[in-house]
Amino acid sequence: MKIDPKTFIQDYLLNICIQCGTCTGGCPVKFRSPLNMRRLVRQTYITNDPSPLFKSPELWACTTCSNCSLRCPAGVKNVELIMAIRNLLANQGEVPSTIRDALENTFLQGNPWGRFRDRRADWAKELGVKILGEAASETLLYVGCAPSYDPRVQNVSTALVKIFQKADLDFGILGKKESCCGNEIRRMGEQALFKKLTKDNTNLFKKSGIKRIITISPHCYNTFKNEYPDLTIPVQHYTQVIADLMETGKLKLSKALDLRTTYQDPCFLGKQNLVFDEPRKILTFIPGLEFVEMERSRQRSLCCEGGGGRMWAEGGTEGTRNGEIRVKEAVALGAKVMATACPFCLLTLEDAVKISGLTSEIVIKDISELVAEAIDENPITKFQAPNNHQ
Amino acid sequence: MNIAVCVKRIPKTAEADIFIEKDGSDIKKDHLVFYLNDWDGYAVREAALLKEKHGGEVTVITVGPEEAKEVLTRCLAMGADRALRIEEPPTQDSYLIAKILSRAIKNQAFDLLLLGVQAEDDNCGQVGVSLAQMLGLPHAAIVNHIEIEGDKAKVRRELEGGIEELTELKLPAVLTIQTGINEPKYVSLAALLEAEDKEIKDLGMEELGLTLSESVDTKIDQVFFPPVGKMAEILKGNPEEVVTQLTEIIKKKKG
Ligand code: SF4
Ligand code: SF4
Repeated sequence: MKIDPKTFIQDYLLNICIQCGTCTGGCPVKFRSPLNMRRLVRQTYITNDPSPLFKSPELWACTTCSNCSLRCPAGVKNVELIMAIRNLLANQGEVPSTIRDALENTFLQGNPWGRFRDRRADWAKELGVKILGEAASETLLYVGCAPSYDPRVQNVSTALVKIFQKADLDFGILGKKESCCGNEIRRMGEQALFKKLTKDNTNLFKKSGIKRIITISPHCYNTFKNEYPDLTIPVQHYTQVIADLMETGKLKLSKALDLRTTYQDPCFLGKQNLVFDEPRKILTFIPGLEFVEMERSRQRSLCCEGGGGRMWAEGGTEGTRNGEIRVKEAVALGAKVMATACPFCLLTLEDAVKISGLTSEIVIKDISELVAEAIDENPITKFQAPNNHQ
Repeated sequence: MNIAVCVKRIPKTAEADIFIEKDGSDIKKDHLVFYLNDWDGYAVREAALLKEKHGGEVTVITVGPEEAKEVLTRCLAMGADRALRIEEPPTQDSYLIAKILSRAIKNQAFDLLLLGVQAEDDNCGQVGVSLAQMLGLPHAAIVNHIEIEGDKAKVRRELEGGIEELTELKLPAVLTIQTGINEPKYVSLAALLEAEDKEIKDLGMEELGLTLSESVDTKIDQVFFPPVGKMAEILKGNPEEVVTQLTEIIKKKKG
């Protein structure tokens, strides 16, 4: 099928590119795949028919971290270009098979892993959490797919429940009525499914009578905040809520965690939504915790490669993972814990620790897990920082 | 080359909690999601690929409830040109389904009939081969490769133990399609919505000269969970406790 490049040029401002290469320079997968944003912008601009160009498998290597578009001095909409190309491919059915399955699963079960919809809130069964619809609350804890189903990330959901309960914060979850937020779905190119999810979710939120939404994942936070056209309910990432609870004295931490800890800024929380301070505030608030900053932090934080549908992609990148580089940076700082505030960072970095054989050096923790740990003497997990230097 | 593909709408049960209806007639389905039978997805994709190569039309047919139109819409979005839904009989007996399909297909100029090897829900694998018998057509089952040469189909069949068989059939023929024969494409929601505008024909049993009380070969007496075997022991507790129990057992068995 011949594609007219004109719409791409207009919609994503390809004509204003000055070919400076800043986009490629800051791309976290430039050493891991042939993806070259500067070249892609140029080639799409000068060709009469970009369809052969759009067949390149490296288009699926992009993590949609947004470094390129955030740094572009001209204002080219690079990430939107990638998503538009993927949308075109998805509409033609030309997506890698694992991405196809993730999209089909979301259509059927409301989560990309295809886990059974009715089991979405199983993690919360014993925790005494309100289910909106059965009980009322003005605050929704929107759990998200990974925190609902992934056994590792369920620990984060449980930690948050414990924290909120401790701080007497009244909240509820949607239970099995909750569906995928669609952030990753949009980034995998399924714009129509994304639209359907925004509509269904917005209606469900409105019907539930909630006045604010708290998300666990920065990915859900991002899309609710920036991409849901009719959602007027304020959205917060959980780190903002906890920082506030601490500052207002509603949450007190009694236990010291004597741990040298660094922090990985998730792309969708940090550089894309500028939530940099709250996670750091929380970490420095934890008694005993020694916070150390990695050299590349905040806007310059290195992407873990978990975004943009990469959680469901297979291959497409080679060489050392960014996660491994990141973990080594943290170990070099003498950090015993690398904290993060995103389910995907948590999973990719934890994999990286195992791959690099550094399990005796460092652990990856979500900030919520550390806070839950510092609340009292009965931790939800047997948390142990590595300590092989005794 | 005109191809008919017979498809089935099935409930997805792999990840689901399964409950049995009080009267034991079936599993409960109201909390399940339904989809196009996996094998049939490959058959429809194969038909679309053959159409690309040899031209012609693809017709998809299902015997099922009104809701089964969903899977026909999916097939239309996958490249089928026409769709037909036939009202479902009270029992899902393979013989009867094949009979209904044979009535609908008889006297129509199809060169090739494709069906999935089996359906994910009952796993009978009978409709395709029964249909071939009823129509008096040559058939090959568990096909994982098709080449059309003139009025012949050269096909590869998957046998046990990694062995394959090459077979040549005269067209028209019936083939039951194995998963993996191709790579089914993603069907986007946009494509599905577009396909919703295409017409789906409806047919009743009477219009095929059949009644709702046709005789059947099999009737389900009772659906039940397999009895728990005596040798199976399910360890309870958190992961640490389970591992401790497990190591104890292994140690004991080791002697
Ligand atoms: S950063 Fe912007 S201006 Fe520079 S090459 Fe990339 S798209 Fe072009
Ligand atoms: S969004 Fe990130 S991964 Fe994708 S091209 Fe831009 S910089 Fe590279």
